[in-house]
Amino acid sequence: MLARFPEALLISDDDWGIVGANRRAEHLWQKTEEQMLGRRPWEQWPGWVRTEIEEGHRRALAQEEPVELQGWSAKGVEGPLELRAFRWEAGIVTYYRPIPTEKSRAAYGFGDAMALSEAQAHLAAIVQSSDDAIVSKDLNGIIRSWNRGAERIFGYTAAEVIGQHISMLAPAEVADDIPRILQRIAQGQRIEHYQTKRKTKDGRILTVSLTISPVRDASGRIVGASKVARDITSRELQEQALREANAALLRSNADLQQFAYSASHDLKEPLRMVATYVEMLQRKFGGKLGESGDEFIRYTIEGAARMERLLADLVAYTQASTIDEEQTEEIDAEEILERALGNIETAIKDSGASVTHAALPRVRMHEFQLQQVFQNLIANSIRYRSGEPPRIHISAERQGKEWLFSVQDNGIGIDPQYKEQIFGIFKRLHSAAQYPGTGMGLAICERLTQRAGGRIWVESELGRGATFFFTVPVRGS
Amino acid sequence: MEDNPADVILVREALEEYGIEGELIVANDGEKAIAIIQDIDCETVSCPDLFIVDLNIPKKPGREVVECMRQSVKCKDALIAILSSSDSARDKEDARRLGVRQYIRKPSRLDEFLRLGAVFKAMLGHSGN
Repeated sequence: MLARFPEALLISDDDWGIVGANRRAEHLWQKTEEQMLGRRPWEQWPGWVRTEIEEGHRRALAQEEPVELQGWSAKGVEGPLELRAFRWEAGIVTYYRPIPTEKSRAAYGFGDAMALSEAQAHLAAIVQSSDDAIVSKDLNGIIRSWNRGAERIFGYTAAEVIGQHISMLAPAEVADDIPRILQRIAQGQRIEHYQTKRKTKDGRILTVSLTISPVRDASGRIVGASKVARDITSRELQEQALREANAALLRSNADLQQFAYSASHDLKEPLRMVATYVEMLQRKFGGKLGESGDEFIRYTIEGAARMERLLADLVAYTQASTIDEEQTEEIDAEEILERALGNIETAIKDSGASVTHAALPRVRMHEFQLQQVFQNLIANSIRYRSGEPPRIHISAERQGKEWLFSVQDNGIGIDPQYKEQIFGIFKRLHSAAQYPGTGMGLAICERLTQRAGGRIWVESELGRGATFFFTVPVRGS
Repeated sequence: MEDNPADVILVREALEEYGIEGELIVANDGEKAIAIIQDIDCETVSCPDLFIVDLNIPKKPGREVVECMRQSVKCKDALIAILSSSDSARDKEDARRLGVRQYIRKPSRLDEFLRLGAVFKAMLGHSGN
């Protein structure tokens, strides 16, 4: 549109630095837009009139009135120019209209000098400076205007495309885009954010998002279409990469699950052989191999037993990861807690532990998940007890969009520097001799709480017990 | 019927632990097992008092051996205990369909394995042998 603007037009920033010039302006000053960028409009005039011209520009802007500029000469044209200047949101627009004389008309090839409205110039400036391609065509598909954005995106200059058919931009595979679009426009429909492909001058295929609206003349008749094309090739590439990464991740996860399951399964038999036969050794030859022999056998037995527990926990961990994430029913946390306590009744009785709880809410979580979390945390509290009998208290409090559960104990506590490490798989802070355990309990808790959409963490100090916190999101009913 | 010699020894230990005396015949693949059953029908040998079967034996599967037993003249009502290294639902289903009521998963601890002797003894005891 700007290309066909019949006057010389300059767009400048707030400080009068030129950011755009149209064809007429280039012609008038015999310079390319590139050459004018960054300079001030009055610098296009020879030095000896510069101050006067500058003053004229500033006045035109301040008073919002046309100003006559004298002393113009370019390409054999002489005569005054009428300058109008006005502000728009990103700077200043100036346009220069030759005050018509016979000579100037001939030189510029104008017919009648057209009456310009500031609004037209304003809109033209906006179109020209847009980063998106803004193109207009008539109902036959012939390109009528082509902005800077279109030049940049497609690589064709306005001169190369104006008068050509719009289908020059469509690659073969979307060739029937064009007639379909023109048909809808002719019916007065608007097309929004239509994602398709277009071709550049150097043959690259771009993914673009098109918004096309009908253009009407003064009587309301549709005479053409105006199209805004946004290049979304890089955005699409990113989305594609993201989709592929996600799919690869899901596949990799599934593979790992499968592997972990098979591995745990396949390890059971050989483990059974080792465990039972080392016990057979003890049964048949215990005492006959000397003290060392008995000791070695004992270590082997303990090792095998430990392997079995690790394996069982590994299986539990892989199962914790396969829980279906589908929406669940509400469960009563108090009921689940009672069940969990029932499962570790022996440990509770043997340690003389007292477990208390505040009123617990109903939450949306799989029963198995919550039960395991309670069970593992309470079993830990009992296992890692201090000299006194374990006292464990469970409570829950509503915090915004989640329930915050806490399991507090009076055990040996955890050094704060390890409070994240302990959630790692097979991670323990003590040797098997000091405290039994496989290092999986908390890893499983973390998996389960995460699967339920929550988080888990611990607050503790050595010798001062520990409080484990975990959240369960409140889902809309 | 067991192809793992380690488990044969364990079964022997379990039987001894509970004072079950007698002869332990071992077939370490399905073909040999079927041959033994067919021999029993042909010869004057009587049917064993208890069959301890692992379903996962080479050549012919344990399932086929049990089917063969059900079709044999002398062994069709024999006592069968399945002693398996697997927990698979399919094996349990096979056992049920074959009418075998004892399905035992091989324990991983020696003391538990030895206690199977009590189970075998109870089975033999009930049959009056």
